[in-house]
Amino acid sequence: MTFELNILNNGGGCNSGDSAEQPCGDHTGCGGCSEAPDDSSRRQFLTKASTIALGSLSLTLLPMSGDLLSDEPSLDNSDGSLADTGSEPADQSEEVVYGFLVDTERCVGTGKCLTACREENNVPEGYARTWVERFVHYKDGTVQVDLVPETGFADSDIPPIAPELVDRAYFVPKLCNQCEDAPCNQVCPVHAAFTSPEGIELVDPDRCIGCAYCVQACPYGVRFINPDTGNADKCTWCYHRIQRNETPACVEACPVDARVFGRLDDPESELRKRLAKIPTSVLKEHLGTHPKLHYVAKSGEVI
Amino acid sequence: MNWKLIFSRNTRHLRILVFLIVTGSGGAFFVRSQMVPADYGQTGPYRHAALVEIAAQPSVLQSDSTCLKCHTNVEEERSESPHAAVRCLHCHGNGKEHIADAEKAAEFPEHMISPAGEWDGDFRTHTDLFITHDRATCLSCHTSVVGMPDAFLSINVAEHLDEQGAEEINSKNVCFECHEGHSPGL
Repeated sequence: MTFELNILNNGGGCNSGDSAEQPCGDHTGCGGCSEAPDDSSRRQFLTKASTIALGSLSLTLLPMSGDLLSDEPSLDNSDGSLADTGSEPADQSEEVVYGFLVDTERCVGTGKCLTACREENNVPEGYARTWVERFVHYKDGTVQVDLVPETGFADSDIPPIAPELVDRAYFVPKLCNQCEDAPCNQVCPVHAAFTSPEGIELVDPDRCIGCAYCVQACPYGVRFINPDTGNADKCTWCYHRIQRNETPACVEACPVDARVFGRLDDPESELRKRLAKIPTSVLKEHLGTHPKLHYVAKSGEVI
Repeated sequence: MNWKLIFSRNTRHLRILVFLIVTGSGGAFFVRSQMVPADYGQTGPYRHAALVEIAAQPSVLQSDSTCLKCHTNVEEERSESPHAAVRCLHCHGNGKEHIADAEKAAEFPEHMISPAGEWDGDFRTHTDLFITHDRATCLSCHTSVVGMPDAFLSINVAEHLDEQGAEEINSKNVCFECHEGHSPGL
């Protein structure tokens, strides 16, 4: 197969990538054949060769697609107990894409989202699926990062900072970035880390062996080993809530709308409108994980 | 085909090889069928039931729409105030039991719960819900902390009370002498 295609590419003088799909004979797909117009036998040969190449290529592909088509129904029929969850294929065809925006210019660090997440997802004390950091840029150039206590700074033992020393300060809520190319998913040795049809990274508690490989792989540090279950645990953007058209618990619990959750595929969603209005960035963009969590913050300043 | 030759002593090593391949691959298929869940691969490279189980978790946190079904007056008050983005649970707690009770009561109209304003006290609101006039509720958000955006109303309580000439500075419900929770005014 490759041999024939090579003949086509080299002999025809076509360098464009789609020459295999569009025969050179009609000069539409390639960059233009450089042969003289009277070289008709060569042209005929090329036309025939490309036709044969494409024909045999499609013939080799046909049985493959036939296999795929015939496999899927048989898998569905093999386990009748799951037939009632027929909503998944519908979701896939709609291609729901969820997104998240964190507005660091609105967050006031009350910590209500932290309590809400703990209650909603039964997260043990001392561990967190989401947390809030406070970045304090002092006038002397140093940067201090505090962890916001769950009850907020108002009742905490953390010594207050003198406002006259501070250049600027802001709160940065952190949660799962739901990367499109999630490193945590790729390293799981037992396929317990998986991506839902909506693009949410989840953990299968029955499959997870608690090896913590994913905990190390996540560049954002959002995974941890739950001491109660021994499994990897992580923020799921409250998958169970968003499947019922509810917002994630932290979004529900934010009194200043600093967390915005919505569908990226819906141009009318508040998320898309906010994203269009203000410049946003993602964390650790250089890692190429393509997060679906966006931040209203100076690019590179928040890490 | 010369079967005699194939089963002669000279091809013993070949037969061993064939035996090993057949039993080995058969064993491998058996082990795989036992180890891989039946629904693996149904919607992707994972156990489909895991997706269903995670999606079936109950929602703990109640959304405002549940509260506003009964407490209709609050929505009006709140929508035009600076507290428009504040949701019920921020001040009143989650109220899951309260809602469960209310849903039970809806089946028996004689025990129907009334909205807070005209509540006659008949219905036992055994709740984790607090209708409190406690300054701590307000200050959990409005205490001035380094890092808060300028647009947000953060106060130093002592200064604010002094400026306003509050009489009972130490009273728990001192905020509510001037402000109303649902529409605080400024």
